[in-house]
Amino acid sequence: MDQRRAAILAEIPRLRRYARALLRNRDSADDLVQDCLERALGKLEGWRTGDNPRRWLFTIMHHLFVDQMRREKRRGETAMLPIETSEAMAVPAYQAESVASHEILDALQAISPDRRAALLMVAVEGFSYAEAANVLGVPAGTLMSRIARGREELRTILEDGSRRRAIRVIEK
Amino acid sequence: MTARDFTERDIHMALDGELPAEERAAYELWLEANPDMKARSQRFATDLAALQNSVAGVLTEPVPERFERLLSGEKQPRSDAPPRWRMAAAAAIFVAGGLGGYLLGISGWGSIDAAASQLAEGAIAAHTLYAAEKLHVVEVGADQKDHLVGWLSKRVGVKLVAPDLTAQGFELVGGRLLPAESKAAAQFMYQDHTGNRVSLYIISDATTKETGFRLLEEGGTRSLYWLDDGYGCAVTGTLPQEALMTIANSAYRQLLDGMKG
Repeated sequence: MDQRRAAILAEIPRLRRYARALLRNRDSADDLVQDCLERALGKLEGWRTGDNPRRWLFTIMHHLFVDQMRREKRRGETAMLPIETSEAMAVPAYQAESVASHEILDALQAISPDRRAALLMVAVEGFSYAEAANVLGVPAGTLMSRIARGREELRTILEDGSRRRAIRVIEK
Repeated sequence: MTARDFTERDIHMALDGELPAEERAAYELWLEANPDMKARSQRFATDLAALQNSVAGVLTEPVPERFERLLSGEKQPRSDAPPRWRMAAAAAIFVAGGLGGYLLGISGWGSIDAAASQLAEGAIAAHTLYAAEKLHVVEVGADQKDHLVGWLSKRVGVKLVAPDLTAQGFELVGGRLLPAESKAAAQFMYQDHTGNRVSLYIISDATTKETGFRLLEEGGTRSLYWLDDGYGCAVTGTLPQEALMTIANSAYRQLLDGMKG
């Protein structure tokens, strides 16, 4: 395997982590990663070895994610959603996940995709504001307000959730 | 150093490592002087840690072989089915759209949770009422099991079985028909040799939603419940959660087999 492919391989765990938090469902997340890898391999010639493979790959994955969200939105949400919702909400079988993790990942799915992506890029993937803004293709100010609003939303959802008696979601 | 005014924006910057080092000390002083902001900062820090923990394990998962093959140049055929992540992405839009209502407290996590928690509440109410009963714990006893199962299947509208829980130490006592909203619910009551009772509460559910196992606790009574294709079931009792889980797993498989068979 050449150097470039090896560099991409090394980024797979991070890509999977980001996709998992972004989409919640393990299989859906890995499908997004696969799309991303295929796209990256197709553009391999355009990538210089000196460039940071992480930023490059996250940018590709983000574009795929955004394109798809737009397409689905245009196609009309209501028609297909009642079925799909259950898929996204369904708990992956035998996934070892604590109650706290389950709650926060569920809550994350309830915030807008833009805010979710911004928050995850910085809070989980450890990109700087400047790097994340670059990957997501937005000005730094926009990134910051997405992060702030995303955190605020997440807090509201989690607090509301904990007020709701003792309903807890545990794995199947 | 002149201390500048800090705002909530700085809380985010501090958490994300974007606050310049030379401002850090002044920021900490500002937090100490503003308990509201300090509380907010702590809350965000807690959520941040939970978020990081929730997916931390993914990094150590082995890379799927299909990705390694892809990178080593072996072409990996893809299925014709639309990628699942696209469907999940669509769902995410929907969920986000529902957020306004959610935040206003108009709806819960959506209708899935509403339906599922109604199921669990009904199950706990019925369990509390009948498990305490000495003489009339069931309407139809286990000695008429076939009749009981046939009757409840017909009234509830789901092809039922009374799961065999002897491996978990519970014998079927019998069952009864109960109202559940505008529908009917079946309750199967089980008992172990010490007299501890566990009940299964089953309703039909036309919405083909699926949930994982969920837990509702009310006053020492726990209900593990789930919605599956066409039905919802709650396993309820005062047993520890692990014991209920074992029973729920067994009941889940047996109900599923019964419906297919």
